[in-house]
Parts: sequence; structure tokens; C-alpha cells
Amino acid sequence: MEILQYALRKLLAGLPLILGVTLVSFALMVYFGPDMTYQLLGKNPTPEQILEVRQQLGYDQPFLQRYLVFLGEIVTFDFGVASTGEPVATLLAKTIPVSLILILPGFILGHVVGLLLALAAAYWRGSWPDKLIMAVAVIGMSVSFLIVIIGFQIVLSSSDGLDLFPVRGWNASSLGNYLSYVTVPTLATMFVALGYDTRFYRSVIVEEMTRDHVRTSRAFGLPESRILLRNILKNCLIPFITRVMFSIPQVAIGGALLIESYFGIPGIGKATYEAIVTGDQPVLKAVVSLTAILFVLVVVLNDILYRVVDPRVTLK
Amino acid sequence: MNAVTLALPAETRARGESLWRKAARKFGRDRLGMLALGVVLAYFIVALGAWLGWWAGGWADLSGTKWEPVSSTHWFGTNIIGQDIFDRAVFSTATAFEVGLSVALAATLIGAVLGAFAGFFVGSWIDEFLLWCMGVLDAIPFYLFVAAVAYALTDNPWAMQVAMIATFWVGTGRLIRGEVIKLRGMEYVEAAHSIGVSEPAIIFRHILPNTGHILLVQASITFVSAIKAEVILSFLGLGIKDGMSWGLMIDESTKEVLAGFYNNFLAASVLMFGLVMAFNAVADALQDALDPRKVG
Repeated sequence: MEILQYALRKLLAGLPLILGVTLVSFALMVYFGPDMTYQLLGKNPTPEQILEVRQQLGYDQPFLQRYLVFLGEIVTFDFGVASTGEPVATLLAKTIPVSLILILPGFILGHVVGLLLALAAAYWRGSWPDKLIMAVAVIGMSVSFLIVIIGFQIVLSSSDGLDLFPVRGWNASSLGNYLSYVTVPTLATMFVALGYDTRFYRSVIVEEMTRDHVRTSRAFGLPESRILLRNILKNCLIPFITRVMFSIPQVAIGGALLIESYFGIPGIGKATYEAIVTGDQPVLKAVVSLTAILFVLVVVLNDILYRVVDPRVTLK
Repeated sequence: MNAVTLALPAETRARGESLWRKAARKFGRDRLGMLALGVVLAYFIVALGAWLGWWAGGWADLSGTKWEPVSSTHWFGTNIIGQDIFDRAVFSTATAFEVGLSVALAATLIGAVLGAFAGFFVGSWIDEFLLWCMGVLDAIPFYLFVAAVAYALTDNPWAMQVAMIATFWVGTGRLIRGEVIKLRGMEYVEAAHSIGVSEPAIIFRHILPNTGHILLVQASITFVSAIKAEVILSFLGLGIKDGMSWGLMIDESTKEVLAGFYNNFLAASVLMFGLVMAFNAVADALQDALDPRKVG
């Protein structure tokens, strides 16, 4: 009950953020954005036709009124029709699940592998496994996401490489198909975050390992596994949760956009990219609003998780 | 005799040495850091030469035929329409420095000033407003923001840089805000207050100079982020419009790679990797050298 109240209060506090995001993106994309009038008209339009389309697009109304209409669209979750003639809601319902099953495996694996590598590095701190893992992490941080994607594609999917997986495209009709199409994007998603994640996890673990209470526990002869789980990892949970939570919006938009547009996968990222290129404002407005809402949800959930893992944190 | 004269400077050094002198000494002893700094300088000379027209002037010329292999005239071969890949890759180094330096300098400057104001007036409406701005900029998807800025600036060639600066200052701003909150409670700031130093003077002359070590590290991290973002944005068609960059080369190469021609892809990605890697190593070495908690 206390948590529910807290969550509601936090969500309300997130409203200014949503207002800010929508205001900035509305001003940039719609108000100062490209004039869509002539894209909707045929050749040689009459002045009446031009006027009608402008009215339809709301160009004859003042800024504030158009922004309020946009806010109304967010509240009712009705963003109108995309330039392809499809309702935006249908487009979202079709593309978001694809992106979820595309991105999720790489996201989870990336954090798990990063944590395991960080544990190994922290355990052998200062000796060669640590140095090796950290050197590889810096190398991983220095490779562009785009190069990672193309590199994996050459090695795993091209006829000059191992030729194990399809070059591009998407098919999730059966588990076998899904696995063959999802592997290369998953490896790329995993690899690109691995360097940063490993370094972050290692630094948190090492800081916790050198605390006095760990030394004391060791002096009392507690088994190493128990010290690791109860004294070290448990105390690392808060930075870990923050890291994982705040990488969600980034991966959901940035990662999906690049991977999907490169491999031609019909997810929300590719839909967003196409909307950017063609200036499809109903889709862009929907994506911006959804990301802002996702961001606020992540912040709220993050704070609630703090409370769950650490009872000393008070929800006020 | 000898021992005494040698011992003296070491002692004075330990007592009255500034953070920067000590950091420079620590950095000089960091062999990996110095090596990386050398690599960055070498890249910078390559970029400088391309700016001044010493080399790579023929990056847009059709100097060969399609997909020529590596030869003495075309060191990295030629691309699909017969342009010299080596010249293009070298010219792109200059683009990378242009983007990296302009974004890093502007974003660090804005982050420093706004972060310092937010931190100095912590809890006031100025702080609330700046925090709200940072939250909003964090919550807008980066690629969408770049596209939106490009629309709003009607294809201005600086649209990409403007968008990067507008988002990248936030990280620095948050760090500086935190540091300034710590510094503003210190006695020397209180002393400045009590002898009537004005608030702007306290912020700019007494507080900000003491965040220099954070700014230097942040600038080098921003430089790397800008170069990496340029490559992806140019590939998506949102980045460099006129000229040549590693991102445009990689974009070009995506069609060639599937046909089994790798020169363009390898040239751009290896050169880019080298610069980013070296800069990352410099940033790490700087961070180690400037961290007062680490005993040198």
C-alpha cells in the first residue's frame, strides 16, 4: 500500500518531465518541422485544396492549441494515422513485440556475461586474468556499434565467413527460424555493451570488496561463497539495478533503431527510422511520447526496487 | 652530499606540489597513457595535414577504376566508383577531429557553466529548472532528437553537432553540479562570501577552476562519444552532409561488403578504432593521474 502510494506520487512527479519532452519534440518536429502540406496534395493543387489540407493538419491554428491537441492524443492514446494509411496504434501493436523478442536476449545476456566477467576480474584483481579482461573491455568500448554489426554479419552470415545464419531479414514463425534470425543481432547487442558493463560492474565490486566488513567477515572465517553473495553482491545491488534500469530506454530506442534498420527487421526501431526519414509525424509523436512515459516508469520502478533490496531506503 | 641535494627537491615536491603538477608527473610515468597520447597526436597531425591541404586533397577524385586492389598508387585500393580509399580515410580523420573537438569543447563548456549554476544555487528554482532540462534531454531518444534538430535547422550542416552538444552537456552538467554542491560548503568559499566577493565571481573564479580535473576527463570522454555517434548518424543519413567521414565510408561499404569487397570497411573501421581506442586509453590515464585518492 505504501509502495503503491509512493509509485502514484512519483508518477505525478514525472508529469513535468513528460510535458517537457513532448513540448521540446513537438516544437522541433512539428512546429518548426517540415511542411507536410504538399506531400499530401496531388499535382497543381487549387488554393482551396491547399487550405483544406492545412486545416486538416492543423497548420492554421496557434502553437498552443496544436500542442494541446497533441497532449490530448497522448491521453487518449490515439495518434491518428501513419503516412502509410495504417493507424499508429496498429503499427505499434505490430512492431513492439518484434523489437521485444529481438532485443531482450542480447540485453539479458549482455548484463549476465558482463557481471560474470567483472566477478572474475575482481576475484583475480591485479593479476593477469584481470588485466586481460580489462584490456578486452577497453577494446570492446572502442569498436563502433555499426562496425560490430557489420563484423558479425561478415563472420557469421556471409559466404566469405562461416555462412551459418541468414544475412538479414526476420522470421519468427517457429523457434528454429527465430533462433537463426535472432543470433547475429543478439551477439551484436551483447558485444557492444559488454565493455562498458564489465568495467562498471568490476569497479563497483572492487570497491565493495575492499570494505572493512568484508575483511572482518573473512577474519571470522566465513566461507568465501557466503562472503561473496551476502557481503559483497548484496551491497552492490543498488548501483547494479540503476545500471540495468537506465540502460532499458537506451537499448529500446537506440539499439533497436540501428539493429532493425540494418538487418531490415520490422520492429519499432525500423518504423521509427522510416518515420524519421519520411517525416511521418503521427508515428514520431507516438514514439516520443511512449519513450518519455517509459523513462518515467523506469525512474519510478528504479526507486521502488531500491526499497525492495535495501529496507534502509525510505520512500518519502 | 649527493644524497642530500637529491633528497631536497623530492621533499619540497611532496609538500607544495599542485594537483596538476602531480598529475602531469603521474601521467608521464604511465607508459600506456603516454603511448596512447602519442597515437592521438599522430592522428592529429594527419588531420592537420588534411585541413591544410598537405595530403588527401584528392579524396573526391575518380582516380582509378571500380574496386582496385591495394597497390602503390592506391594504398588501400579504390571504392565502387574508383575513388582512392586511402585519401578518403585520411580526409575523414580531419572530419572526426572537427566533430570531436567542436562537440567536446562546446558540450564541456555548457555543462560546466550550467552544472555550476545548478550546484551553486542548489534547491532554488534555477537548480530545479536546470535539473528539469537535463531530465527532458535525457528522456528524448537521441536519434529522434538529432533528426528533429536537423528538421528545425532545415538541413544546416551543423545540425548534427548542435544536437550532440545539446545532449552531451548533460552528463558533464550533472557531474559538475554534484562537485559544486560539495565545494560550495567549503571554508574558502565561505571566506570569499564574507569579504564580499560577488556570486558570479565566486562561481567562475573560485569554484569552477577547482573542477578542472573533471572537465578534462569529461571532455575526452565526450570527444570519443561524438566520434562514435557521428559514424552511426552518418550511416543513418542524419550526420555529415558535405564532405567525407568514416561513417559515410562505412555506409558506402555496406553494399560492398556483401559483394566480398572489404577495403572500404576495413580502412574506415580500423582507423576509427585506433583513434577511439587511443583516446579511451588517454581518458583512463588522465582519470588515474587526476584522482587525488590514488597515491602516485
